[in-house]
Amino acid sequence: MRQQEKLKILPPTLRKKERYISFKVISEEPIVYSDLEAGIWQTLLEFYGELGVSQLNVSVVRNLYDSQNQIGVIRCNNKSVPKVIAGLGLITRLGESRVIFKILKISGTIKSLSLK
Amino acid sequence: MKCFDLHVHSAFSGGQSSLEQLASTAKDLGYAGICFAEYFESEEQLKKLKDDIAKISEKTGIKIYLGFEARNPKELVKLSGKIRMFDLLLAQGGNLEMNRLACETPQVDILTHPENNRNDSGLNHVLVKLAAQNNVAIEVNFRELLLASKRTRNIIMKNLSQNIILAKKFHSPIVLCSGSVSHFELRSPEVMISMATQLGLELDRAKSSISKIPEDILKCSNERKSEKWISPGVRIVK
Repeated sequence: MRQQEKLKILPPTLRKKERYISFKVISEEPIVYSDLEAGIWQTLLEFYGELGVSQLNVSVVRNLYDSQNQIGVIRCNNKSVPKVIAGLGLITRLGESRVIFKILKISGTIKSLSLK
Repeated sequence: MKCFDLHVHSAFSGGQSSLEQLASTAKDLGYAGICFAEYFESEEQLKKLKDDIAKISEKTGIKIYLGFEARNPKELVKLSGKIRMFDLLLAQGGNLEMNRLACETPQVDILTHPENNRNDSGLNHVLVKLAAQNNVAIEVNFRELLLASKRTRNIIMKNLSQNIILAKKFHSPIVLCSGSVSHFELRSPEVMISMATQLGLELDRAKSSISKIPEDILKCSNERKSEKWISPGVRIVK
């Protein structure tokens, strides 16, 4: 199969501005990444609908999830940060475990989240 | 910014979590203080609660206040007379009689969930004007939103937005509270502020609804406990 050609990266003025929200999950039992991602998507889709979520430009950053400390990062566009945080607050369960999301930091780059 | 949650139920009033669990979770989430809203039974219960709260406050390092939530007009009148014995007086809204009485009573600090179990918002311009005159804060309860699903949540959000519009118009104080009965229902201040902005509150107002306004309410309650205090706005100077 022919490898797909990569597009040239957009200039900074045309790129969508992003924000990274780091959060900590306080739970009764350990939370695995798949439960976390499914829970976040389900709640956001229920609360904002398909059109609403498409405008949030939201995604959970998989390789930044620290399952030991239960710290993760969500990416969204700069104007939808309050919407995403409000949506996270409505998550009561992930899998079988009751959870609380604690917002740690909101930043424009992953580097400045200073996760380590 | 110091944040306060002024409406939390512990195991003493039908909640599922102990005072200690709630206090330590609130501290983890970044609150400077919380207020336990209990149901009044007797003065012995009040003394026991005060002792427990003092111990837990020292242990967890978070400021803990004691409030009582009146469930009916009779209880509200009774608790108004004992106002100096505890920190906050909350009135459980939901029925129109209780909403009106709470807005008319200057001793009441917070009218909790005025739209509870209703199709309308439970408040109109007359009641909100009264609340503003008597400095009664109107609560935006997060627990109702948290536990409701789809259609019910839709109605609750509509009613909360309506109350926020009225409170803004008539300059009545608004407070954001979790109303939680379990430590897993507590939410961090950022979440509460973000949800309030979704309901139509501006960011600055949302922030003051969880920090400055609760702080002012607690300051008033502190003044109320002093011997010089007579009634709202009246105190002995010399």
